[in-house]
Parts: sequence; C-alpha cells; structure tokens
Amino acid sequence: MIRDITLGQYYPSGSVLHRLDPRTKFIGTLIFIVSVFLFRRVPGYAVATLFLGAMIVISRVPVKFIFKGLKAIFVILLFTAAFNILLTPGETVLWKWKFLTVTKEGLVLAARMAVRLVYLVIGSSLMTLTTTPNQLTDGLERLLRPLNRIHVPVHEISMMMSIALRFIPILLEETDKIMKAQIARGADFEKGNIIQKAKNMVPLLVPLFISAFRRANDLAMAMEARCYHGGDHRTQMKPLKYSRLDVIAYVILAAYLAVAILFRVLGL
Amino acid sequence: MSIMKETKEPVPAGKPGVEEASAGTLELKDVSYVYSEGTAYEIRALDHISLTMPSGQFIGIIGHTGSGKSTLIQHLNALIRPTEGQVLYNGQDIWADDFDRKELRGQVGLVFQYPEHQLFENDVLSDVCFGPMNQGLSREEAEEQAKKALLQVGFKEKNFKKSPFELSGGQKKRVAIAGVLAMNPRVLVLDEPTAGLDPKGRDEILDQIAGLHEERGITIVLVSHSMEDMARYASRLIVMDHGKVAFDDVPKEVFSHYKELEPMGLAAPQITYIMQTLKERGLPVDERVTTLPEARDSILAALRTRGGAL
Ligand SMILES: Nc1ncnc2c1ncn2[C@@H]1O[C@H](COP(=O)(O)OP(=O)(O)OP(=O)(O)O)[C@@H](O)[C@H]1O
Ligand SMILES: [Mg+2]
Repeated sequence: MIRDITLGQYYPSGSVLHRLDPRTKFIGTLIFIVSVFLFRRVPGYAVATLFLGAMIVISRVPVKFIFKGLKAIFVILLFTAAFNILLTPGETVLWKWKFLTVTKEGLVLAARMAVRLVYLVIGSSLMTLTTTPNQLTDGLERLLRPLNRIHVPVHEISMMMSIALRFIPILLEETDKIMKAQIARGADFEKGNIIQKAKNMVPLLVPLFISAFRRANDLAMAMEARCYHGGDHRTQMKPLKYSRLDVIAYVILAAYLAVAILFRVLGL
Repeated sequence: MSIMKETKEPVPAGKPGVEEASAGTLELKDVSYVYSEGTAYEIRALDHISLTMPSGQFIGIIGHTGSGKSTLIQHLNALIRPTEGQVLYNGQDIWADDFDRKELRGQVGLVFQYPEHQLFENDVLSDVCFGPMNQGLSREEAEEQAKKALLQVGFKEKNFKKSPFELSGGQKKRVAIAGVLAMNPRVLVLDEPTAGLDPKGRDEILDQIAGLHEERGITIVLVSHSMEDMARYASRLIVMDHGKVAFDDVPKEVFSHYKELEPMGLAAPQITYIMQTLKERGLPVDERVTTLPEARDSILAALRTRGGAL
C-alpha cells in the first residue's frame, strides 16, 4: 500500500533522453523553465509547447505518467487562477461585484501563470522520469563542484543526498511490513482521538527506528570496511562523460534559448 | 508391502473431536494480486488462485523466491485486498463492508518472515500481551495467555522479563510466534519461521508447531523452502510457481513429479533421488517414500525380498 508512493518516479524506457548525461538534462530543464518565463504571448508559448511535446514523444514515457505530476498542483493552480482573475486591476472591466472585478488583463495574466506553472511541472517531471535519483545527484555534484573552492563540501552533501534517496523506498517498505505485522496482531492505526492515535503509533515507530539505526550502522560499517573517504581525489566507478548525443542536445538547447531571447526582444 | 498402501492416503480432513472447528475454513476464489498497479513497475504476484483450506489441515506452501507465497498468505487475514477475486472465511466474503476484519485477524494468526519487525515492548511478556490486549482482554488475562503461548513455543520462563532486543534470532522468532499464538487463533500461518536458524533450533520450532497442530487442532499453513521439512510435517503441499498453483496434493504425490519441480527451481527431498536411483539400478524399493526412516525400512525390505547379503 505504502510503496505506491514512488519518489523519484523514474520510468525506464531506454529512450534517447534517458541516455543523455544528467547534467545535460538538468541544464536543459533550467533553460526550458527560463524560456517559459521569457515567452509572453501565444506564438512564444506555441514554440514552448512544440519543444515540450517533442521531448515527451522522444522520452517514450506514457503521457499518463507525465500528467500525474499535475494532480499534485491542481489546487495551487486553481487558487492562483482565481486570484489572478478576480483581483487584477485593469482597464477593460468585464464584470464587477463589490471588490471583485474580472478584467481582460486579469484573464490574460491568469492564463499566462497557469501555462507557466503547468509547463514548469511537466518539464521537471520529464527530467525526474528520465533520470534516476542517483544520476541526478551525480550530475548535481559535478555541476556544483566549483563551489568546492569556497569550501562548500559538495561531495559530502551529494553523498548524503544519494544515501537519503536510496533509503526512502527501503524505509517505506519497512514501514509497510511492520504495519502489517502489527495489524496482524490486532493493532489499529486509525481509531481514536489524536492522543490515542499517537499512542497507537508506538508499536510502529519503535521497530522502525531500531531498524533504521541498524541499517545506518551497517552501512557505515560497510563503508568503513571498504576504506571509504570522500572529498578530494576520489574517482568514480562510472564517471559522467559527455557523449556526441549531449553535444547535439546542447546545440539544440542553445538554439532554443536563442529563439526564446529573440521572442522576448520582439515582444512575442 | 505395508509401505505401498500408505502412499495413497487421502488428505486428512481435520482431527476428530474438533468437528465444530469446521468453522475456520478459508477459501480463495479466483484471486489475483497486482503490486504497484498502474505504474511502470506493475507486478502480477498472484494469478487467478483458487484454493480451499479446510479446518485442521497442516498445509505446506513451497515455491521459488518471488513466486508469491508471502503475497498469498497475506490475503488469508485481510492484510491485503485482492485485486480480483474473493477471499471467504466460513463462507463469508472478508472484504464485505460489514465483515469484522479485526476479529478475523484474531482467528487467523500470521507470523511474518522476519520477526524482529514486530517486537517493540520493554520486555518479552508485555510484547506477547500486545495481541490479546488488542482483542480486549485485561492485562491479567492477557498475561495468562502470553505465558501459556511462550511456554508452548519452548521459551524459557527465566527470560520473560528480558528486553526483546537482547534475544538471539531464534528466541526472537519464538517470541514472535508466541505473540500471535497468544491470540488463540484457529488458523496459524507462518512465513518461513525457520529462516536463519541452526538445524537444532529449526527442528525444535517445527516440532513445537506440529505439537500445536496436534494439541489444539488448529490449522497450520507453513511456508518453507525445505522439501525435507514439508515431507516430514505437511499433510498437504501447495507448490507455487510464478503466482500460480502448480501442484496441490499430498507431499508424496507432489514429489513424484520431481522432474517437473526442477524447472521451477525446486527439488524433491534428497531421499527421493536416492530411491529413484536405487530403483533404476534394479533394487525393488518404493521410490515414493519421502522421509529417512521410511526409506530405511523400504531399502531393508527390498534387500530382504531379493535375498541379497545384508
Ligand atoms: N511490496 C511490494 N511491492 C512491489 N512488489 C512486491 C512487493 N512485495 C512483493 N513483490 C513482488 O511480488 C512477487 C511475489 O513476492 P512474494 O514476496 O509474495 O514472494 P515469495 O514467494 O514470498 O518469495 P520469498 O521466498 O523470497 O519470500 C515478487 O515478484 C516480488 O518482487
Ligand atoms: Mg516471502
């Protein structure tokens, strides 16, 4: 039941997008997000739609999964749209009731914000759907490496991130198992008031913490046994390497960004 | 000759004297279960399973890793809801709105694969009391049940006040089994209760489970990877393969299909292979015996009838 909540919702389909270097995808996503804010009018958004649509087709991820991310922001989307529509002052008033006014400017703004929000979510979903969490942290580590110069422990941070990511599904699974074992012994995690509910969690939390600490301890021992130490001069088993695919991708991205900037200058 | 007759024994249907316990029948009707339905990781763990588990049987479930054994037994006490199909307890659909699933979990006790998953109290006795107290018993009544259950699984009284986390793996298993047994279930389901135990501890626990079956007349459903254990204890053996029931019969019958078991990543007990080879080499033994003493008798008898040198 609990494992259905997949974090880092990677969808393996082995497409070209999946094979790109995570750095490329990360920067690509950033460029896409920037472009969505550069565009202002319909022709611009048509270009963004075209670009996003092409990426979705290339990724070979079923559309159903791509739109899943939208469910989470549906409420936010509704609120921003409502506020923008009802509270934006403007010249051409279409409808008025007390302090609420619907103006043409408001409608345009609401539509623009909605499109931006939706594209932002779809764009970043596309990245997480085609990149494993580990690749993502690897890519991020490489991109942030220059920060090492100002003594930011980039490697350690990314190590912690990837361990945390690695453990989330394991802990979820463990929670599921312990919950089932206690339910089998008649535990009830739903009934009662808040205090009772908190009390009922004890049979779940105690074993969960014990196993989490045991796992953390085991992992630390295993790392030490293999003489792990992070930081300088550490090499990777699979170092990130740009391939020809990435070069092509960067060329396309640069062209796309240029178009976006051009559109902005032209006011499209 | 007497051995030959035994091979056709029917599946025993409950012990006499516990007839009224025919209440306690579990039935799976065309049950399928799919993990992570609707995602990229969909796994069909059970594929249209139909089974009846009448009261009083000692049922063994065997199958390769990932064949769906654990998934199957979690259906028996309503821990997971079948994606398709029905689970019936005494003829009632356990997922009907008005069915008391908490009550069912007291009647169908389930011990999980790794017992350290469920221990949480300060001392062993309190931990075992958790189940009975959830059933609404007072602390005194629960303790009485708990003590009885702990002794029944061979847990020493002097350890009752120890912390469950100081115990060895075998002792933890015993406490976990007692924790479920203390709820007085009619059906006891055990998922690999002997994983990670030494041979002595394994035999002890299995003997105690068999004893419970005899004394209390409760149904036992035992998941195990050991064909030898199955041959020794189970009166009925269900073989799972890729979410389907491949065989469901008395162990002897199942083992006689040992050639079909091998592609499923299973094997008959070693003794079956010895007997088969002896038979092929011309010794008239009964190749369908499954335990060591039976094999010994059969070989001795065969040697005698052949008049060979002993
Ligand atoms: N919580 C879960 N989420 C997703 N898939 C699962 C989950 N639990 C089990 N599975 C999958 O369902 C299938 C059946 O698993 P199950 O645990 O029932 O096997 P098993 O026969 O008990 O194996 P074992 O002998 O290793 O205990 C496997 O393919 C497994 O990967
Ligand atoms: Mg299992």
